[in-house]
Amino acid sequence: MSSAKSPALMPADLHDALQHALIEVSENAYFVFVEPANAAQFATAVEQVKTTWLKVSVTFAGAFAGAVEITLPERLGNWLVTSLLGMDTEQTLPEPQMFDGVGEFANMVCGAWLSKLSDLAMFELRVPAVTRMAPEWNPLVETRAGHELACRMVSLNDLPMRVLIRSN
Amino acid sequence: MNQSNPPAAAMKPLNILIVDDSATMRALLHRVVGLADLPIGTIYQAPNGLEALKILETCSVQAVFTDLNMPVMNGMQLLREMAKRDSWKDLLRIIISTDGSKLRRDEARELNVNLYVEKPFRPEVVRDVLCQIASADAC
Repeated sequence: MSSAKSPALMPADLHDALQHALIEVSENAYFVFVEPANAAQFATAVEQVKTTWLKVSVTFAGAFAGAVEITLPERLGNWLVTSLLGMDTEQTLPEPQMFDGVGEFANMVCGAWLSKLSDLAMFELRVPAVTRMAPEWNPLVETRAGHELACRMVSLNDLPMRVLIRSN
Repeated sequence: MNQSNPPAAAMKPLNILIVDDSATMRALLHRVVGLADLPIGTIYQAPNGLEALKILETCSVQAVFTDLNMPVMNGMQLLREMAKRDSWKDLLRIIISTDGSKLRRDEARELNVNLYVEKPFRPEVVRDVLCQIASADAC
């Protein structure tokens, strides 16, 4: 499969593209408003979360390779999927259904971000991987390693979400 | 909807095939198709291109909505297989994918794809293409 190299982008472009991708997916598909959060707001929101956390990763390859990693409370994951499907948002979904749904959210964010970087380059996206983190885990205690291209912390439905883009 | 379209009662029910490895996306499309206020016959679902071909071999389908990135057999592979069969030449082919690259769209055009919808999509986009299919089928 051929692919064209996209022009080198400034870090601001990568962050802006990620923000726009998040807004596009959240508002067009999930009809939920995205509010940006700074580090302090994010930390406050994280400390108020009482459910376990999910980490969703979509790896991609093409003009360059990397991964989109989304961290969100399980309660937000459940809400996103029930909302998308027009179900009662108080309903607790079976794990396979919720994992598939949040995986699709991450898949769309990854695809939308890559499309905004360049409409010439082609990428292959892998099947999303969803992990339920240990009960005591939250994004504030994580030691972040690896090369991060972009990071966005936001609030959806008054719950925190973090999106990281890592490169290989 | 166009005022010149035939009334819904005059339209033949449409059989739709939805191909996506995500059960969530298949459920969403199933819901969107159902909300289109059109005569819908059977909505078939397949998690990959290979399963989609099995359905096409045995069932009457008027429109195929397919994702691109899928395991076992991806969307482009499915469309290439469909292009080989003369009996499927009138099937409407709609791609629904996160991949909006120009190269992919060009590839789709060569495979006679009727519409390329980029995820995330608004439900009315799917509704509008179904209206077009239903109107053409009634003529």
